[in-house]
Amino acid sequence: MRCDWVHGYWVHWQWVRCEKGFGMSVNAWIVVGDQPAIGNLITVARSLGGDGTIAAVVAGPRAVAETVAASGVDRVVWCGTPDGSPAEASAPAVAEAVAADPPRVVLGGRNPGDRVLLGAAAAALHAAVLTGARSVTVGADTVTVVNAVYGDISDETVEISGPVALLLDGGSVPAASGAGVPIEEVTATPYGVKVLETIPSEFEEVDLNAAQRVIGVGRGLKAKEDLSLIEALAAALKAEIACSRPVAEGLNWMGKDRYIGSSGARISPQLYLAVGISGQLQHMVGVTGAETIVAINSDPNAAVFAQTDYGLVGDLYELVAEITSVLK
Amino acid sequence: MKIVVAYKWTSDPEEATVGADGVVNWSRARPGISTYDPVAIEVARGLAAATSAELIGVTVGAKGVGTPLAAKAALSRGLDRAVIVEDDSLKGAGQAELAAVVAAVVRRIGDVDLVITGDSSVDVAAKMVPTVLAGELGWPAVAEVTDVTGQPGALRVGRAVPGGAQVLEISGPAVLATSADATTPHVPGMKDLLAAGKKPVEHVDLAALDVPASSAVMTITGRARPARKERKHQLLDTSDPAEAAAELVKALREVGAL
Ligand SMILES: Cc1cc2nc3c(=O)[nH]c(=O)nc-3n(C[C@H](O)[C@H](O)[C@H](O)COP(=O)(O)OP(=O)(O)OC[C@H]3O[C@@H](n4cnc5c(N)ncnc54)[C@H](O)[C@@H]3O)c2cc1C
Repeated sequence: MRCDWVHGYWVHWQWVRCEKGFGMSVNAWIVVGDQPAIGNLITVARSLGGDGTIAAVVAGPRAVAETVAASGVDRVVWCGTPDGSPAEASAPAVAEAVAADPPRVVLGGRNPGDRVLLGAAAAALHAAVLTGARSVTVGADTVTVVNAVYGDISDETVEISGPVALLLDGGSVPAASGAGVPIEEVTATPYGVKVLETIPSEFEEVDLNAAQRVIGVGRGLKAKEDLSLIEALAAALKAEIACSRPVAEGLNWMGKDRYIGSSGARISPQLYLAVGISGQLQHMVGVTGAETIVAINSDPNAAVFAQTDYGLVGDLYELVAEITSVLK
Repeated sequence: MKIVVAYKWTSDPEEATVGADGVVNWSRARPGISTYDPVAIEVARGLAAATSAELIGVTVGAKGVGTPLAAKAALSRGLDRAVIVEDDSLKGAGQAELAAVVAAVVRRIGDVDLVITGDSSVDVAAKMVPTVLAGELGWPAVAEVTDVTGQPGALRVGRAVPGGAQVLEISGPAVLATSADATTPHVPGMKDLLAAGKKPVEHVDLAALDVPASSAVMTITGRARPARKERKHQLLDTSDPAEAAAELVKALREVGAL
């Protein structure tokens, strides 16, 4: 079965429906925060095999629970999170729901709120926690996970006896399938956390995964105004603009959804053009799936050149302008 | 009031090498305070100063995390004292196990109002230790925290969320994971390093801690170096930038990237 993009790879999930060939049932929980972006988690849970149930516990607003209820899961529990409280406030109800019906596997997405809910569930279950799963195989007594570690430089095969919590890319919002399941409401005293204010980002949202060509801008760019040079190249290339982490976090020249790497977006475009990026592990792991990688860097010893198809040693200001004019 | 900063003493995988068998070799990597933990210490120092709180650094890990050099490196960044669990049974420990040990240390210190951590560790980068830690303590956790003000019992916490930012009010103890760019940590000077040498460091035996048993046993049964796409590694001659640009565009057209 082919599943969504998981941890930077198109993965053929080698789910063994049941290692021993009889109707084993694998129960899974999915924890959901403020957004129902759990398409990938449902795919993974579904593939675990057997006739087990997939239950979702939702700590976000009721509308999120309604979307999840229609997404093909077998059971939905809503924590009745009060208005004005973030999903994190309902972590006790999430932990209680999961612990009351203990699963083999509990899944959560990488959003900050979802991570908190997964941590609460993992603590309640005293479960193992893994964050780099490339594949999961459920056997009679153990769960086997191929888990990428240390910035994906090695894949460890980990055999776990007991419950396991997996942090995965949540994926898209699942399409409604059928009439849906009823929403069970539970209550537990929420934590005393209130939202006083919500401030929308000054930057437009972007889906880098939709782009065929992506230009990554690094700290080699001297000033925010110089982005106009990159925008001209992007227009000529029909490319989306992305960046390294410090350009989005620290310099604040772009939204956080535009940085690529282990903590950011993982993309597999036709072309990735790294401009003024040194090529550190945590960045490059986000583009290992790119078809062609080009780097422009003034430092001939930059690590990026060991990971590219075409390298240009030189001043980005000069080279970017020249490439733009050739394309025009 | 007591604020704990949980920090990690570890190495950057950028400096590690991986054998064909997938085994990671750390022998050439130089350990240090994990990249983003100085951000956590700086944010915590600011709050501790504003609320006259005691600032306690906690780290747990295998032998080496509690050497005088490692402790001094952490203390010089503004901690008042450190509590360290150094035990080789924690070598390669998972996120859940580390979080459970940190939780036990926090309980042992007693009367802790707040735990602050970095965004993610430079080696594992799982972002899960603070959230499991909160679960173990029965406290709320908030990640991507950009600033903290107020008093324990009425903390004001700014944090980044997908699509923007929020200001939260937290009325009890909590675990806060700072964002990578919450602040720019200062570089400790000679005076800080000298002062650090005089600060108390408590070493706690892992066996003396009340760590709940895990329900899960993890065994590593195999390792492999992940297959990577072969790259061409072609350096284009850039002595004439216009020519280099033309050559690049031609090559990209040929491989169908344009
Ligand atoms: C736990 C953890 C997670 C992280 N996650 C991520 C992540 O997800 N994504 C990410 O990107 N980073 C991440 N990082 C940070 C990462 O380690 C690097 O620090 C970062 O990627 C470096 O960004 P950069 O290449 O833009 O800047 P630098 O490393 O400063 O490189 C700038 C480059 O520009 C070149 N340059 C300068 N001037 C010019 C010029 N005129 N023309 C051409 N080239 C020029 C320089 O030679 C240099 O190579 C993470 C770090 C940690 C510790």
